[in-house]
Amino acid sequence: MDPGPQVATRAAALGSLRRRPERLPGEARRIGYLYVAPAFILYAAFNLLPLFQGINISFYNWDGITPGTWVGLDNYTEFFTDPTILAGYTHVLILMIFYAFLPIVIGLFLAALISRIRIRGLTVFRILLFLPLVITDVVTAVAWTWVYDINGPISTALRAIGLGRLVPAQGWLGDFNTALPAVGVFGLWGGFGFCLILFLAGVMKIPASLYEAARVDGANAIREFFAVTLPGLRYELQVVLVLSVIGTLDTFDEIYVMTGGGPGTATSVPAYLVWRRLFQTGQVGSAAALGIVLMLIIFAVTWAINRAMERGNEA
Amino acid sequence: MVAPPARVRIALAVVAVALVGAACTPGGSVTQATAPPKPAVTGVPDTGPITLTVWDQETGQVSKIWDQLNAEFEAKYPNVTIKRVNRDFGELKSLLRLAISSPNGPDVVEANQGWPDMGALVKGGLLLPLNNYADAYGWTNRVSQNVLAVSSWSPDGKNFGTGNLYGYTTMGEIIGVYYNKQMLSDLGLELPTTLPEFEQDLEAAKQAGQVPIQFANGDAFPGIHEYAIVQDQLASTDYLTSLIFGTQRDQLSFDTPENVQAAATLQDWANKGYFTPGFGGAGYDSAVADFGKGQGLFMITGNWIVANLGASSTDFGFFLLPPQQQGGPAVSTGGAGFPLSIAAGTEHADAAAAYIDWMTSDHASDLLLNTGQIPLHTGASTAALQQGTLLADVVNATATATADNGVVPYEDWATPTFYDTMTAAIQELMANRISPEEFTTRIQSDYSDFQSSRT
Amino acid sequence: MNTTASRAQVAFNYALLTLCSIIAIYPLIGVALASLYPPGPDSAPSGFGLPPTFAWHNYVTAWEQGKFATSFTTSLIVAFVMVPASVLLSILGGYAFATMRFWGSTVLFYLFILGLIIPTEATIVPLYYDVRAMGLLDTYWALIILEVSGEVAFGIFWMRAAFLSAPPSLLEAARIDGSSSWTTLWRIMVPFAKPAILTLTVLTFADSWNEFFLALVFTVNKFTAPAGLASFSGRYTTDIALVSAGAVIVAIPILIVFIIFQREFMRGMLTGAVKG
Repeated sequence: MDPGPQVATRAAALGSLRRRPERLPGEARRIGYLYVAPAFILYAAFNLLPLFQGINISFYNWDGITPGTWVGLDNYTEFFTDPTILAGYTHVLILMIFYAFLPIVIGLFLAALISRIRIRGLTVFRILLFLPLVITDVVTAVAWTWVYDINGPISTALRAIGLGRLVPAQGWLGDFNTALPAVGVFGLWGGFGFCLILFLAGVMKIPASLYEAARVDGANAIREFFAVTLPGLRYELQVVLVLSVIGTLDTFDEIYVMTGGGPGTATSVPAYLVWRRLFQTGQVGSAAALGIVLMLIIFAVTWAINRAMERGNEA
Repeated sequence: MVAPPARVRIALAVVAVALVGAACTPGGSVTQATAPPKPAVTGVPDTGPITLTVWDQETGQVSKIWDQLNAEFEAKYPNVTIKRVNRDFGELKSLLRLAISSPNGPDVVEANQGWPDMGALVKGGLLLPLNNYADAYGWTNRVSQNVLAVSSWSPDGKNFGTGNLYGYTTMGEIIGVYYNKQMLSDLGLELPTTLPEFEQDLEAAKQAGQVPIQFANGDAFPGIHEYAIVQDQLASTDYLTSLIFGTQRDQLSFDTPENVQAAATLQDWANKGYFTPGFGGAGYDSAVADFGKGQGLFMITGNWIVANLGASSTDFGFFLLPPQQQGGPAVSTGGAGFPLSIAAGTEHADAAAAYIDWMTSDHASDLLLNTGQIPLHTGASTAALQQGTLLADVVNATATATADNGVVPYEDWATPTFYDTMTAAIQELMANRISPEEFTTRIQSDYSDFQSSRT
Repeated sequence: MNTTASRAQVAFNYALLTLCSIIAIYPLIGVALASLYPPGPDSAPSGFGLPPTFAWHNYVTAWEQGKFATSFTTSLIVAFVMVPASVLLSILGGYAFATMRFWGSTVLFYLFILGLIIPTEATIVPLYYDVRAMGLLDTYWALIILEVSGEVAFGIFWMRAAFLSAPPSLLEAARIDGSSSWTTLWRIMVPFAKPAILTLTVLTFADSWNEFFLALVFTVNKFTAPAGLASFSGRYTTDIALVSAGAVIVAIPILIVFIIFQREFMRGMLTGAVKG
């Protein structure tokens, strides 16, 4: 998952906001403006204003240095014609399987397996399982570059059990077929611990009475899972889903460190395309458009997931 | 509570103001940089302390020599301090375009020739025309027209190969074939004189269980060199040069039978296993190291690894990839090396010019010769070269190609996106994921897009 | 909670958790071991054995070659300015949103929430030119300002939630005393919300230390630790031992902070995500 505590806390924030639509409290005080002003000024100047500037730039063909030329929506229609852009989005979609879907499924599965008894030393486990997400992702990406080395642990282990022919000659990160899944496995490793701890905490909070009731009804472990555990974790699921899906769309650091978008363009992602177009190829208008579209997709996905989960809640 | 409509109206007003405020054509107006007047006296003006910021991408031995040259320059002109910013090739490419246009940017830069880098900088008025300095220091007489042409642009940056001089160097590069002398003789082979003979040598090496061509394309750029020199033997030099300079705009196409054939050849070699196994993910530096240790009969790359293999080495030799037919012209990719340019925003143009002159002096080229940097300036004395050494081979090969007018510039110079497009396409070609026809079509698409966008 | 735990269940739990933990830290342990192998492209740390000799010297080499002195200095300077600034602004803003009503406050608050989902990619392009126009490219201030403006959205949300959880009696008492909003904030609310503030500080520090993309875009010489590592690993790709040493070097500060403040980290990352 990407990039560490930042996205986790944001999604947590978003998630908790959803369930408390309320009027802001307090007595009427004009001085409130003064308190909010410093933060807002910075935020508006460096987050909101650039948004509008970015929208503006996206309507131009601009090399970044000389005056740009107006091209209207061309940078956006490029999305349907430029194979590299389509490839970038396809790649993050594939990565979502590894960064979002699999960690959640694995976390759920493992949390369900673990009996709901007090675990001594849970703190130690939490620390270890959180490490992949908390340590700087540039560091973990460098670590995994070694893991994927042609003489690294994975290759060595495979050779030791006689499956050496599975190791691609170009290396895991240099082979056109394995590069993207390799990055995906990195993301899976990063997120599964967090999911496990999160769901474990959630499961511990489910009242025992629900489980007893299910058992009385004659439910086996699997039925218990679907009837009690899963619904009980609905809220956590929603948050983690939003978090991991958004986090994947944003992926940059590990691509830069592990593959540079390669081999060829096999691991290019939208954020990486933005960077290349801004700095390398002088397609600044296109870079801006890519950024705006990424934001719109994140909005849409967040809205859709929250909507779907809420509908599920009502059911 | 305020009625919603008013709130909405105000919100819309704010948004409108923001949009209008943000809406303006991005990119400042460009004034073409004017050449500073010809200095009455060459050298560094004695006007108080000067700090020259220099950006370069040199590594290894060459980088150490640069340190030495910088120190000598500072000793010669005590009021000058050189601040050196050293990054690798890829990083410099990303950083330079935008950094050079910022207020505290560098004074002297190594700007890669071609449309993506130097062309964009000239178009943005970011490089100083060097003509007057060239006159004052006599640069134009020291090198051939070709060397000057690849750093020449019309002042508006719209035409490549003519106009003002924006970069200067006296060192050259050449791509060719290194070979392991011992292995060649052990295999009972001779130096090939035609491309088919070269291919026979490859097959022989393969049969004997050796790596025919030591190669690693994890860094993407080596692939361009492998393709280019095959292409050089099949397509005409004039065609290639015009293609890269873009002098004939969209009259020329990349999609030609010769280019397709070159692609097919390269793919064929990859499929036959002539390249190091696992080349797609391996790093260039380790390939060079491996070749130096005796792994691989041939290695196709540029003169810059002479320092790694040893300039005076007699274990390794160098030759140009031979032509298709017996007696054909000697052609390869190369030409002028990395030029030095002066940023238009510099406040120390005269000092910068003096620095460039120092770094391209005979003294500098003598020091750099042993690293495999080929001196291109007139009067370059290669008499001291010991024939039979690797360095001598490289220098001789360059001389031969130059004499035959067979030096083709680097192909990734051809459009602003060519480097990205070609490196990716070659990786796919060599991994057998696209056909030679798809390869040329894809590259032509980039080329024609650019040509039609040129005003 | 099911209290009748069989021995087998307990053992199974521990086994499973231990297995997962091993998977989680294996790459990190592995890379730490790899860093002790002899430097150079020939050493091939396989991750399954100990290095032939313990090349501690790699750390010295990596520190120098990777210019980590510069990058650590930059990262620390940026963090030590940015964290207090960001936390302070978040306290002020969160306090206002939690305890005061003013016209447009809802809109303002939701504008901040918007900031939680605006990705950096959407604003990075114009931001580059804005920062350059201000002459702040390649300065500490560029990173500080951009990181603060990026953090306040979450910070305000977080502090507002913290202040909202204060019992109303607390505020009542302050009002009766006639304290100004300022005094109330610093004498009463902040002490009350200390845990939340500590959590926010720790999380903000982590975000600052881990920031890579901004450093890549906005700095050349004043690069941060992660950016320094990325550049270092790009230059020395074949020297696994050396690059691993660099990775360990950059990992240590955040590792230490995490272990010391792990409770705050967990609180930050799990609260609000767990119902109830």
